[in-house]
Amino acid sequence: MTEQSSVIDVQGLTKSYGRFKALNGVDLTVAKGEVHGFLGPNGAGKSTTIRVLLGLLKADGGTVSLLGGDPWKDVVELHRRLAYVPGDVSLWPSMTGGEAIDLLGSLRGSLDEGRRKDLVERFELDTSKRGRQYSKGNRQKVALVAALASDAELLILDEPTSGLDPLMEQVFQETVREAKDRGVSILLSSHIMSEVETLTDRLSIIRDGVIVQTGTLDDLRTDTQTSIDVVLERVPDATELAPLESVTINGHRVTASVDPDKVGEAMKVLAPYGMSKLAVEPASLESLFLRLYEETRA
Amino acid sequence: MTTAPAIASALPTPHRDRGATTGARLLLRTSLKHDGRLMAPWVLLITVLSVSSVIAYPLVFPDQTEREGLQQAVAANPAIGLIFGPPTDLLTTDGFNAWRTLALGGFLAAMGAIFTVTRATRVQEDSGQAELLASGVMGRSTRLLTGVAMALIAGVITGVLAGALTVLCGGGAEASWLLACTWTVTGWMFAGFAAVAAQIGADARTSTALSISTLGTLFILRGFAYSIEAPEWTIWINPLGWMQETQPAGENLWWPLALGVALTGILLAVAFRLEGSRDFGQGLLKPGPGPDRGRARGPWGLAWRLSKGSALTWTDAFVLLGFIFGYFATSIVDLIEPGSPMAAALAGGSGSADVLVASFLVMILSMIGIFAAIPSVQVMLRVRSEEMEDRVEPVMAGSVSRPRYYGANVLLALVLPVLYMAVAGAVVALLAARSDLGVEFREVWVQAMTIVPAIWTLVAVSVLVVGARPKVAVAAWAGVVAAFVLTLLGPSFGLPDWALGISPVWHVPDVLLSDPDWTGLMWVSLFTLGFTAIGFAGFRRRDLAVE
Repeated sequence: MTEQSSVIDVQGLTKSYGRFKALNGVDLTVAKGEVHGFLGPNGAGKSTTIRVLLGLLKADGGTVSLLGGDPWKDVVELHRRLAYVPGDVSLWPSMTGGEAIDLLGSLRGSLDEGRRKDLVERFELDTSKRGRQYSKGNRQKVALVAALASDAELLILDEPTSGLDPLMEQVFQETVREAKDRGVSILLSSHIMSEVETLTDRLSIIRDGVIVQTGTLDDLRTDTQTSIDVVLERVPDATELAPLESVTINGHRVTASVDPDKVGEAMKVLAPYGMSKLAVEPASLESLFLRLYEETRA
Repeated sequence: MTTAPAIASALPTPHRDRGATTGARLLLRTSLKHDGRLMAPWVLLITVLSVSSVIAYPLVFPDQTEREGLQQAVAANPAIGLIFGPPTDLLTTDGFNAWRTLALGGFLAAMGAIFTVTRATRVQEDSGQAELLASGVMGRSTRLLTGVAMALIAGVITGVLAGALTVLCGGGAEASWLLACTWTVTGWMFAGFAAVAAQIGADARTSTALSISTLGTLFILRGFAYSIEAPEWTIWINPLGWMQETQPAGENLWWPLALGVALTGILLAVAFRLEGSRDFGQGLLKPGPGPDRGRARGPWGLAWRLSKGSALTWTDAFVLLGFIFGYFATSIVDLIEPGSPMAAALAGGSGSADVLVASFLVMILSMIGIFAAIPSVQVMLRVRSEEMEDRVEPVMAGSVSRPRYYGANVLLALVLPVLYMAVAGAVVALLAARSDLGVEFREVWVQAMTIVPAIWTLVAVSVLVVGARPKVAVAAWAGVVAAFVLTLLGPSFGLPDWALGISPVWHVPDVLLSDPDWTGLMWVSLFTLGFTAIGFAGFRRRDLAVE
């Protein structure tokens, strides 16, 4: 197999369940060595895409290349090189967490003993409990330990931290960074904004079975507004503040938004009025995603 | 009603008691609406069973000679008695119906009651649904009360529907209604057993297993007690024996039903007492911590790990079954004398003592063989439930090809019957060799093992269904059910050979005789191969974990 730059390359992927069209031509590329965020509203097609990538579902149309192979045909070979964590881990009721970790690791062909021990400790996991006795967060940890202790080249994580407490969320982020340092590529589907912000290099947003945006976080931010919150000595007339938009004046306090490339211009306009207590912030991730998710609804 | 819990904590006993079941009426109404349809199959099965016998009997056995033929055929096949119990009178429609449906209908009613009660209690606790309910304005015993009430109502509906339709279709009033009442009361008693088991088991699965093994044991012991003409007390200590002793279409005794009602009351009292001190999601049996490290390393290891517990239980069950059937075989040896009507029916009238003994042993071992297919069908159906409960994804995300995953489960499903037949066959062979049947241990054991290829065909039906058509997963039982019905009832209905031959078990050669004919088994094995191949092809091609 030749050296390639992308570990996942999906073009025009379609998949229907009966009459319901789950995927309407998904294009998704994950470069080697990057952490790629995979975001979208509930029911947009994230898990269906992942299931196609895992070879559980057969694509109706389009091309899907995973680690240079066909996920439907080359299951055994490809799965030796990837690890997967579902968002809702269901464990075997009578098997212990330790048994499940060992099984899943062996199925993949490799389990790094040192890392297994280290991860069990860091995630503070009791491996002698039985599947039924674990809480949601602890079931999630079982799957995470099994995946991260493997020597996989590609991690497919589908909302992997749902149910983890903030301390464990931190451990998770550390371990993902360590994995990235080992050269592992990661597809991360998540609804947790801080996780996406700190971990991902690039991201793709899916909506109604189509990828609507792809790029780095900064790329996505270029066409969102920066917010300005300022207290002025002299109160201006709203019409005089040309590059600023949606201006609200409340006593001496002015809030407005502005295109990111016009922030300097806005400062020049505001300076003459005597600025104090100035706050200039790029759009928050939440508002960015709210906009991206909603935009595509229209 | 909504303020009841507040009052309950403040006031002593009488109000507190009512507080324990606050919200039951609302929950019952909702549960009946949503889960009611899950009880329908049991009610309908029993009704169809009963109605079909009153309709079919006059058509299949129109005159006295044919009816006497049936009576002889049944008397000639004592193994039938193990399942159906003793016939009271096979010369009338009502007697035939009572013989054919009392035990089987009771069994179905009990199964329905067990699933209803367990579903409303422990299954919901394990799935997390009950937590949502219990956090509402709801007493501690409300969910148990609801489950029990649903089972009791289902029992009444079964009795009324089956009784009324049977009478409408030509059944005699008293016999039909009494028969229908035995199903109601059997359902009630097992709602009681299930309610107690739900307090004991460590989880839903062990609770269900406890109830079903109680039912299975009582069922087999009842048949056994009648077949070997055991002392009368062995019948009267068995609640299922009480139902048989009502003798519909015979003595028509109503009072044994009262025993069943009383037992139901006692069991329910015990269950509610235990429920009062039980922790949510737990039973009297507590699971201990398990191993830190696992030994299951691949699909085969996983399949075995998941089946280990039940395989051990089933092995015990087959030792018991082997003992019961083996003891039974040796105890009736004096009944099968050449020239007796039984001998005539068993070996087509042409049998020497050897032939009779041989064909009788084959029949007994065949019945054990059909039972031995049941755990394997469960193994195959688990493949489907692993898919639907989201556990197959992480496994298939490992380096596992579909044929290897499916193959591991199929292999286990094929190996288990070998184990069970080896165990049960050894017990039967041991008992037979020590008696005066004139057979050796080795030949009886070999005879038991020749049944294995026929069992594989029954299992292959489930391999096909789960692999290629999982939407109709219940069809996985088709092979077992068909073989059971044909083997048990086929001969007494005088079915032709081609119809009997649908059951693969019918083709098992009689190795106790000289020149056994193996061609039948070879044909049967071709079907096994075909079914398995289709199952594998289907499993490789279809989407996994999709409705």
